[in-house]
Amino acid sequence: MTTFLALTLVGLVVGCIYALTACGLVVTYTTSGVFNFAHGAIGMVAAFTYWQLTVDWGVPSWLGLPLVLLVLAPLLGALVERVLVRPLYGAPVGVTLVVTLGLLLSLIGLANIAWPPTVTRVLPKFFDGRTVTLSSLVISGNQLLVILAAAAVAVSLRLLFTRTVTGIAMRAVVDDQDLVALAGTYPQQVAQLSWALGASLAALAGILLAPLVNLDILGLTLLVINGYAAAMVGRLRSLPLTVAGALALGLGDAYLVGYAPGDVVDVIKPALPMFLLFGAVLFLRQERLRSGSLTGVRMPRTPSLRQSVASGAVLVVVVWWLSGQLGEGRLATVGQGLVLGFIMLSLVLLSGYGGQVSLCQMTFVGLGAFAMGRVGGELGLLAAVGLAGAAGALVALTVVRLRGLHLALATLAFAQAMDVVFFKRSLGYGGSLAVERPGVPFVDVADDRAYTVLLAVALAVGSVAVLSLRRRAFGRRLVALNDSPAACATMGVSVTATKLVVFTTSAALAGFGGALFGGLRGSVSSNDFVLLNSLVLLLLATLGGLYTVTGVGLAAMAYALFPVLQDALPGLGQVAYLLTGMGALALGRNRYGLGGQLADLADRLRAARPARALRTEVAGAAG
Amino acid sequence: MLRVEGVEVRFGGVQALRGVDLEVQPGSLVGLIGPNGAGKTTLFNVVTGLERPTAGRVLLEGRDITSLPPHRRARLGLGRTFQRIEVFSSLTVRENVLAAAEARRSWGRDEPDPERTARDVLRRVGLERVADARVEGLSTGLLRLVEVARGLATRPSLLLLDEPGSGLDGSESEQLGDLLLELVADGTAVLLVEHDVELVMRVCQQVNVLDFGQVIAVGTPAEVQGDAAVQAAYLGAA
Repeated sequence: MTTFLALTLVGLVVGCIYALTACGLVVTYTTSGVFNFAHGAIGMVAAFTYWQLTVDWGVPSWLGLPLVLLVLAPLLGALVERVLVRPLYGAPVGVTLVVTLGLLLSLIGLANIAWPPTVTRVLPKFFDGRTVTLSSLVISGNQLLVILAAAAVAVSLRLLFTRTVTGIAMRAVVDDQDLVALAGTYPQQVAQLSWALGASLAALAGILLAPLVNLDILGLTLLVINGYAAAMVGRLRSLPLTVAGALALGLGDAYLVGYAPGDVVDVIKPALPMFLLFGAVLFLRQERLRSGSLTGVRMPRTPSLRQSVASGAVLVVVVWWLSGQLGEGRLATVGQGLVLGFIMLSLVLLSGYGGQVSLCQMTFVGLGAFAMGRVGGELGLLAAVGLAGAAGALVALTVVRLRGLHLALATLAFAQAMDVVFFKRSLGYGGSLAVERPGVPFVDVADDRAYTVLLAVALAVGSVAVLSLRRRAFGRRLVALNDSPAACATMGVSVTATKLVVFTTSAALAGFGGALFGGLRGSVSSNDFVLLNSLVLLLLATLGGLYTVTGVGLAAMAYALFPVLQDALPGLGQVAYLLTGMGALALGRNRYGLGGQLADLADRLRAARPARALRTEVAGAAG
Repeated sequence: MLRVEGVEVRFGGVQALRGVDLEVQPGSLVGLIGPNGAGKTTLFNVVTGLERPTAGRVLLEGRDITSLPPHRRARLGLGRTFQRIEVFSSLTVRENVLAAAEARRSWGRDEPDPERTARDVLRRVGLERVADARVEGLSTGLLRLVEVARGLATRPSLLLLDEPGSGLDGSESEQLGDLLLELVADGTAVLLVEHDVELVMRVCQQVNVLDFGQVIAVGTPAEVQGDAAVQAAYLGAA
């Protein structure tokens, strides 16, 4: 009985922290319509700031705590809303997602600069050493504080939303922004307020969580992601259900640790929040096809077969020449860029053309590398494509009803669960799986230069294939599906079947990329396929331009050349996260990325051609 | 051909359709008119499967299709356009129509040459001039024609048109009328929602009037025009 009570207490405390973070998430999402993937990162930065103030600079906590919770965090939230989120209202989920992911990476980058992970930092527990005894149960001061804080927040939020003018305006903004504006309230101010409030709640959760775990940048950021699951239980709307989900998660976690056998705990515990998230998303009702939901995406022109073949040939020749000039280390970097470009092709197909957000692309890559490592040879390539494709089909079957944010969260849950349940166990934490290079007749793949050129050929062929797919019936159907699912269905196109096909194809392509990736590296470990890498991949691809093959090619090259730049400018490495993040912020203004910009430029040049050429063209068109 | 029986749709506390019956005979041109918010588009959504009715049935050529998903209904010969335009904005006009013809090929097996079908449909609807333009820059009137062309490219036996004439000028709307008459002469049935009363009166053989989710009159254009309830719905009760 005492064990049960003690476990309940531990679960309750963790559940309360999840509840705090999840409520913050729900408040910002419902009032602004933008899901904040950086919510956890804000909590992390707040916890570090609090450590900086109270531990490092010796500011007393009675001053430091209100300073962080009531001044700095709300200011950060309001600033984020004003600068990043406001240009995004009405933008497709894919864009808002990438921008807040950019913020997430920027904050991680900033934290890495401000608080280098080489130093161990500890945030002491509140009321350390003091306890309250309730019959057989000993409650620490820290635990009591967490529970009381969560209860106080719950009551305050309830009062805010039912009793105050501001709170009612917040609820009204959810229903109809324009109406609220007509009634004399500024919806943007209300949304800004909600972001300030959300940031404050994230900060509170971060500061309460930090003493229970370590002050670890990634750990804190990702732990708060568990709040996503609770928020989804409340369908991103209901605060009471969100709190219930958070408590269930905390308690489930504690009981699992207390009662289940050790090996089961090892497998399930880390994935528990993701199972809950996946479950909550799956229980959502089928999203109906609606008219009037145009994405407003304007895709750049598709190059002709001749153009794409010529560009591919140029790529191969340039890489062949370059590979003769570079040293071994550089060569590997170029190879990595080429593989990355190949993997991004799978995103162009799925997310660019098809409009399906995926936060688990590196999971498919990992499965491909795993299959190649286990099977090897030509059969290994087949196994890589097969395993990743099968996983893609499986994911598609379970998430096919979902769109936008829900799809993103479901794929996020899948990536995270696969990481902790499969990759960490099959590849080991630091351990690695040797992956051989696929054999090609007449080519000595063991030679790094030959293999790099081979990768260039793979990227060129892959690009030409994806582009020619885009010019065919299937490509048109994908783009049409992205533009208007409702119109597609009324033409007799099965939305479900089309999504299934594109998910499977994209995953298989990523799996092939995984086999190439493994061959390049020689061995892979679970670290290569963590969730964060999938996020970075999507971010990079979007920066380059998700709608164009050229765009992702540029992004991949930029990635590959980054270490070369780093040699010239030492210290650049630290700001890599930051730079990527900053780039994402620019997406709020231009969602087509670099590739889109280039296509625009080409269009303008074409329009500015001399009048003579234009006349011929007109005559040609008329003839 | 199409029979709607006692269809009811309720959105929360609002009863959008109450006991609607409607029939379209093969090869006929039937009008559906009514004030804004009468439930015309909701009825289209029920027929094409975008909306589930809370009660009632939809029958296509005698078969109950009430529980079929939208794409299955399309494969049985239903085509439609949307009041809030749903063109594929990333594609050119030709590609919009081509995508529809290709969809027909993928499920119909009787579409040997989608390119040719697209060309024919574009000529028929009068969009040849802008065939290679991207749809995003076109006027609303032209976009509505793109939707009509796309609907035709799947060669439906019944085409539901939701305000195809809005945004068209006088002569364009006359051409649209000619096109509709031509379609009916070729054996395609059309159910037409339209505010352009002149167009409706000119082309429709039968007109249904919807008001507050109920059919308040059915008859020939002349009969409906003289109906007291219809006049009250449009002009307010005297």
